[in-house]
Amino acid sequence: MKIGVLLKQVPASDSRIKIADPQRGVALDDVKWEINPYDEFALEAALALLDAKVASDVVLLTVGGADTEQRIRDGLARGATAAVRLDDAAFGGSDCLGVSRILAAAVKAEGITLVFAGKQAIDGDNAQVPAMVAELLGWGYVGEVDQLEVTGAGAKAWRAAGGGARDVVEVGLPAVIGCDKGLNQPRYASLKGIMMAKRKKIDVKGAGAIGVDAGSVGASAALVSETNWGEPPARPPGRVLQGDDAARVKALVAALRDEVKVI
Amino acid sequence: MSWHELENAPDDTAGSIFDPTPEHRMLREMVADFTRNEVEPQAEHHDREQTLNLPLFRKLGELGLHGITVPEEHGGAGMDATAAVIVHHELSKSDPGFCLAYLAHAMLFVNNFYHCSDDGQKARFLAPTLTGETVGAMCMTEPGHGTDVLGMTTTAVKKGDEYVLNGTKTYITNGPDADFFLVYAKLDGRVTSFVVDRASPGFSTGNPIHKMGMRASTMSEVIFEDCVIPASNLLGQEGGGLVHMMRNLEIERLTLAAMSLGIADRCLEIMVHHAAERVAFGQPINRFGQIQRYIGESYAKTEATRALVYSVARQVGPGRNNRLGSDASKLFAAPVGKEVADNCMQVMGGSGYCSEYPVERLLRDAKLLEIGGGTLESHQKNITKDLTREMTR
Ligand SMILES: Cc1cc2nc3c(=O)[nH]c(=O)nc-3n(C[C@H](O)[C@H](O)[C@H](O)COP(=O)(O)OP(=O)(O)OC[C@H]3O[C@@H](n4cnc5c(N)ncnc54)[C@H](O)[C@@H]3O)c2cc1C
Repeated sequence: MKIGVLLKQVPASDSRIKIADPQRGVALDDVKWEINPYDEFALEAALALLDAKVASDVVLLTVGGADTEQRIRDGLARGATAAVRLDDAAFGGSDCLGVSRILAAAVKAEGITLVFAGKQAIDGDNAQVPAMVAELLGWGYVGEVDQLEVTGAGAKAWRAAGGGARDVVEVGLPAVIGCDKGLNQPRYASLKGIMMAKRKKIDVKGAGAIGVDAGSVGASAALVSETNWGEPPARPPGRVLQGDDAARVKALVAALRDEVKVI
Repeated sequence: MSWHELENAPDDTAGSIFDPTPEHRMLREMVADFTRNEVEPQAEHHDREQTLNLPLFRKLGELGLHGITVPEEHGGAGMDATAAVIVHHELSKSDPGFCLAYLAHAMLFVNNFYHCSDDGQKARFLAPTLTGETVGAMCMTEPGHGTDVLGMTTTAVKKGDEYVLNGTKTYITNGPDADFFLVYAKLDGRVTSFVVDRASPGFSTGNPIHKMGMRASTMSEVIFEDCVIPASNLLGQEGGGLVHMMRNLEIERLTLAAMSLGIADRCLEIMVHHAAERVAFGQPINRFGQIQRYIGESYAKTEATRALVYSVARQVGPGRNNRLGSDASKLFAAPVGKEVADNCMQVMGGSGYCSEYPVERLLRDAKLLEIGGGTLESHQKNITKDLTREMTR
């Protein structure tokens, strides 16, 4: 079985993001890039199936320019067997649907039967692409998966359903799985993997090679446009609860439940 | 930007002297991640207990780090001195003591052994040391002979198909934990290298020697009392030990210098954060000129160390001689690591002196780098000798 992993590069989670221009977006010149953390769980899930010989190949799929190749190399160094970078002038300015069309076409062109993706990317936090890829392919999709069993024919996936309850979903293959934290512990690239990655080739493919209609992707086909960028609101000041212990505990529980909604 | 990322930002360092290739960059990121996630949390415990974390040591083997300089066809990674520097630099940001155990194994034993062994010896000894299943050590120093290493009195005598070793080595890093030892002894008055298995008759190690710093690596005497080893444990030629020793001292000193750089990087970061956050007399202490002097000088010296160590690394390797560069690196780097750690403690005041923070441990560790692998004075001696030979020919 050939597995595809959707890999996106994002600014490192501890980056200090500044708005360059309210109309155009954030300044990315000094940013350190990394693999989207949720995609690391996706990659590890695929590599575990490769180790278990359930998968024969793990193919990384990235939409992006040459600057994404370092992250693709990182994925190859961890053990992915092949990589395709999807790059074409027609792809520029794609929204989530456009990116999903590109990826869905590539998944089809590569003969992939199971796709792992991060449940969302931590830059835009849209959480759209994996589900859209599945929809475009007519495949099943399970998102936010934090436990998984894959057999040859299908997969059983677990995810949090809120309030401590668990959802258990069975899905037939082919399918797309959106991976969440807790699914696994991503491995480090070994030195051997790093040296082997040097000899692996990253294929670069454009619209023609994967058979996607150039008119259906890119800025002109985008249904979503970003109109304005701004700083998040300043964090509200802390609050000291008043009263005796019993009253304060009660107020704290109420605040955690009703305002912060964590219990 | 934080201590594990200094060399990674901005993103395009590949091609710089710090990360000359994408493989160097990936190596650094891997070791930095590993250090942050797995080395940092255990460092304080092993410093306190004075023990080597063997499971963690074996994980370095799983990552392929023990054979970093060994060619790929022999099971290593085939990387260069810069790569070895990267590993020591990153590990020492969290745990120089653990890194010293790695250095004694991967540089003093594995790298040295690889270059002076034949195929049969590689087959017997190399594979398990590359995984970390067995631990290696190197025995040069003796109770009566440290800097004056050529005065060593440990002897080897050939008897039929065997060599018989007599003498005592001391301050041997990994002594209590190691299985294989690369030993220098005098055969007919000439320094000769041998590989000795702990199981050899007449071999023993003394009690662990307690020390001020580097306590996450262990150290002991190694004692040979009519210790019998097969003749096939001779490394290279009889009398070839001096060349092995001199060749390997270069990468040893360079990687020790890299450890100092790791300590300096970490302490500098702690210092800058503390000086920004700690308020005294109604303002952050980094507004005071005296504190700024600690920060400014620490930064300048750390950067000078970085430039020196990484530029020398490009000229150290098999088939090259750069004793001047490696001696200069360690001579310069060792006091910088110690000074920056001390500056950091001074900026932190009482909190720096307490073991709740890593600084007092790093300061204790930093001192070793002025002694081990050659004292500062020995580097001064070597540099003078080499320069005089070069310039007054
Ligand atoms: C933690 C630790 C780990 C070590 N690990 C190992 C190991 O794994 N394997 C190993 O073989 N050794 C190891 N050593 C030993 C180390 O290499 C020696 O301690 C070092 O070479 C100095 O030797 P010495 O201690 O005998 O000091 P000495 O040589 O006695 O020096 C004492 C003082 O005299 C000075 N001095 C000596 N000769 C001269 C001279 N000609 N001119 C000017 N000054 C001079 C020295 O610089 C020093 O200041 C380790 C030591 C330590 C502390």
